[in-house]
Amino acid sequence: MMNTALPEMLHCLQTPENLAGNGADLTVLERQRAQLKWLQQQQQQYQQIYFSESQFNVFLPPTTDALQLQDLINNDTTLQKLVNRSMKADSGLANEWPDFGKYSTTSTGFAGQATSFASNGLEPNSLAMGHCLSRTSSCPPAMTLPDGEGRDSVFIASVVERERMKKRKADEAQNPMVTVSEDIRDKRVKVDAEEMESKITEQNTSATISDTPPTTTTHNSNKNDNANNNNNREASSDTSKENPKAPQVPKPDYIHVRARRGQATDSHSLAERVRREKISDRMKYLQNLVPGCNKITGKAGMLDEIINYVQSLQRQVEFLSMKLAAVNPRIDFSVDNLFRKESAQTFPAPDCTGNFSTAGLSSEMANPAYLQFNPVHQVVSLDNPQEMALRRTFSAPMAVPADTFNETASFTQVPHSCSTWENDLQGLYNMGFHQQGRSSAGFPPHAFPVDQQTN
Amino acid sequence: MTPSSFKQELLKKWVLGLQSCGSMAKEMSFLERKNAIKLSADIAMASARGGKTRWSRAVISSASKRDDSKLLVRNILGNEFERLMKASVGTPSCNKRFMSKKILRMSRGLRRLRRSTARRRVQASSIAKRMVQRRTQVLKSLVPGGESMDGFSLIEETLDYILSLRAQVDVMRCLADASERLKSK
Repeated sequence: MMNTALPEMLHCLQTPENLAGNGADLTVLERQRAQLKWLQQQQQQYQQIYFSESQFNVFLPPTTDALQLQDLINNDTTLQKLVNRSMKADSGLANEWPDFGKYSTTSTGFAGQATSFASNGLEPNSLAMGHCLSRTSSCPPAMTLPDGEGRDSVFIASVVERERMKKRKADEAQNPMVTVSEDIRDKRVKVDAEEMESKITEQNTSATISDTPPTTTTHNSNKNDNANNNNNREASSDTSKENPKAPQVPKPDYIHVRARRGQATDSHSLAERVRREKISDRMKYLQNLVPGCNKITGKAGMLDEIINYVQSLQRQVEFLSMKLAAVNPRIDFSVDNLFRKESAQTFPAPDCTGNFSTAGLSSEMANPAYLQFNPVHQVVSLDNPQEMALRRTFSAPMAVPADTFNETASFTQVPHSCSTWENDLQGLYNMGFHQQGRSSAGFPPHAFPVDQQTN
Repeated sequence: MTPSSFKQELLKKWVLGLQSCGSMAKEMSFLERKNAIKLSADIAMASARGGKTRWSRAVISSASKRDDSKLLVRNILGNEFERLMKASVGTPSCNKRFMSKKILRMSRGLRRLRRSTARRRVQASSIAKRMVQRRTQVLKSLVPGGESMDGFSLIEETLDYILSLRAQVDVMRCLADASERLKSK
């Protein structure tokens, strides 16, 4: 397993080194050395290590040469053996934090890979504060990042996550942590992070899919499953944090959800976030649909409006059916309501174009040929004087706004709501098309009336 | 599917349905007529939407189960289409799965509630969650077939349902206006 991963690792490690070599503050080499040192010290000093509950993957941090890599891998396996043990904070570790800070910076590229990190995640905060990590079994040890090392890393992200989940008491202590984690990501690091991320993704999946450490407890396997699930879900959800300079990596069927800065990177929370974003997308559509929903933010209020709107529409249907029942004693609107297309000639006023559909007389007539919602200017023969009279009565009240004139195949332009509805719908459908283009695979195309299937 | 084509379909099917129960129109009371009109409109709306959305399938399946609307459904849909609907439903099994999961979830929640009644903290987030939950329940009761939907699909179905409802209202209003004018003339 490791052997296959190795060449990829080495390759991906080249790039950060090259980038780092161009006058970076911290060379990758330095970072790696710090990592190694730290890891070794970890082993010596601690009997137990906290690991995150969500995933534990073999985290292979970048190293320059194979030997170091091997050492690291060995270290990792030993670390993995300690997965299930709880750890107590040791304030003696505080000295190592600056080194660890460097260590964490290398993990920038794994921001999207909650899995790999959470496993080795150390929680800087709680440790730095000397807090006991007895709160959760898989709480990584805390660390304080050196200031200015504002690199977004999953370590930091996982730290932040722990903060949120456990509601730390030492708020002041946490604040520097939080601010550090919320510093701007170094773009350079981002670039190599992007490259590394994609490669590490594949590595991780290969690592997770293959049999991981000998001490595979169910805990581990759960984490692996989660990792796989995380990798296999599609979401192009992330947003402005995307680095435009990053090379386009060919993505397999993975979901690459970028963990935004200051947000949790646990796979559960990532999935949650994806789901929440989908829901908020749809809520935006609904906002445009439902009148008066624009000013309302917040789910409950919008749901209120949506409910009211649906209820009002349903009530309207009821009322209209009552009206129809009252208007004529017979249900079938047969002879009386035979309308044909109206021509522009019959109605000199250009905006009196009532395109009314024909209601078929009998079943044979009720075929599409009779229901023609054609463009406004078509000429139709009118032989029924009654219809003529009818149309004339229609022409007067039909003050159709000019913009509806442009609507081809408009159903009828007597009620203003029709045209506006079509306008709204057009806009909505356009949005829908765009949305479908870049939405996640989970979007059911059939649910949207917009889709290209024609009836 | 463009809005106007949807409306066309709706009107066509609606008229079809109306005619199929037009034979009994003379003996019907006002309420019965109104119900027949509304039913035809709803089934027409659902069938015009096709079997693509869950709410439309739910409407048609519930209508075809009821004795008074069975015939109407068949008339409006036509035989083949009805078969299509039945084939594409397949929801009973999904529904059962969903309902059983729901029952499990509820029972788990109840158990937890009984244990933790001592320390109940009234937090803003929990209040907000409860509000949203209640409204979601109401929405589920409004949208046909909404009971067995999860949050995300519920919103999508609502979206589609609202659009279709609007179309239905438009069609009905046009017809009502036209026949009213006709009558007054």
